[in-house]
Amino acid sequence: MTHATNEPARHLPGEAGVWVFILGDLLMFAALFITFAYYRSNDVASFIESQHALNQRCGALNTIFMLTSSWCVAIAVQVARVGKTRAARRWLVGGMACAVCFVVVKIFEYQEKIAAGITLTSNDFFMYYYMLTGLHLMHVLLGLGVLIFLWRSLYAPVSHTSVRTLESGACFWHMVDLLWIVLFALLYMLR
Amino acid sequence: MNTRNELLCIWSAILFVVVFTLGLWPLAHFLPPHLPTAGAEEIAALYQGRTWQIRLGLFLMMGCSGLVCAFVAAITVAIKRMEKGAGILTYTQLSAGTCGAVFLIVPCLVWTAAAFRPDRSPELTLLLNDVGWIMLFMPFTTFVVQNIAIGLAVLGDSNTPTILPRWVGFFNLWVAVLFIPGGLLTFFKTGPFAWSGVFVYWVPLVVFLSWYLVMFVVLRQAAIKAGRAA
Repeated sequence: MTHATNEPARHLPGEAGVWVFILGDLLMFAALFITFAYYRSNDVASFIESQHALNQRCGALNTIFMLTSSWCVAIAVQVARVGKTRAARRWLVGGMACAVCFVVVKIFEYQEKIAAGITLTSNDFFMYYYMLTGLHLMHVLLGLGVLIFLWRSLYAPVSHTSVRTLESGACFWHMVDLLWIVLFALLYMLR
Repeated sequence: MNTRNELLCIWSAILFVVVFTLGLWPLAHFLPPHLPTAGAEEIAALYQGRTWQIRLGLFLMMGCSGLVCAFVAAITVAIKRMEKGAGILTYTQLSAGTCGAVFLIVPCLVWTAAAFRPDRSPELTLLLNDVGWIMLFMPFTTFVVQNIAIGLAVLGDSNTPTILPRWVGFFNLWVAVLFIPGGLLTFFKTGPFAWSGVFVYWVPLVVFLSWYLVMFVVLRQAAIKAGRAA
């Protein structure tokens, strides 16, 4: 995060480098989604039947948590820009709380599946179910770490640099949110 | 004088990628990968049919993997310039990178054992073949730690200008994420997460080799710049 000389009129949120990670990660998930679609097209009936075993309520609840969390973080960035660090920290705590709820629901959901004898190797649908949600959960935990880091960094007075960092972290968190929305649609809803 | 040796270590990445690919692809024919579902007779036939090509390919793959140590040293020097104080990430990268080299060399030796007596019982050849594939594609752990160490060092660099561009830090973190699915080959014999699958073989292999090329370019520039400043 060196000097941001001549700021463009429409500025890219966060530092440019973080987009290397975000776009790269989206690329990987896109590849996962494409192969999912391929395997699904080979065996639509089994995919749809397996989908009925998913807990739609957990999925919907987690979507709400993810969206709310993303919203909290977006507001945190907005208030931090005008120097209200205490309020920004509070919004970040809200974001983190939603993320923790997401993790708790996910663990409950996994445990429910495992109790029902459904595992990674049950069939292709559940292979994708565990892989996609597992990789996403890893991103959620990573993102939770990022949010804690941002929360701590807001103890110092805001500067151009710290807002930049906050934006970078928030962009990552919004990506995690975006991925969940796609996952929810693909795994739980697609008919 | 010192810059010359540093550049020598940096260039070893290119030599490694070229020779490793040569051994893997046209010689040993381990690209595309063997199928985890293949039977003992089928795998034994591969070793019986191309015995000397496989031996030579593995000889080259094993032989060039030592260069990874030299390249890890070049990364270590760059990170040392970034870090202040005791340099904990410098050591993390050094030790993880060195362990990584071991997991390139040992699988080649295991496959070599399979190619050493191709007429032995096919079941044993199958076993050795399995061990080789699992050893090369499952151990993501050292590579992930190495990439995260590089990522954190680059992003924590307080020099102006930074030793390596900041996107290199994010690139390394991304590569770390990409290696993780490799560990899942233990659960699958078919599909995208089997050792012959997209997310265990193709993506990590391409990313692994292109990581060397990216790091080569940025480290070379950094070494030349550091040499001029000295």
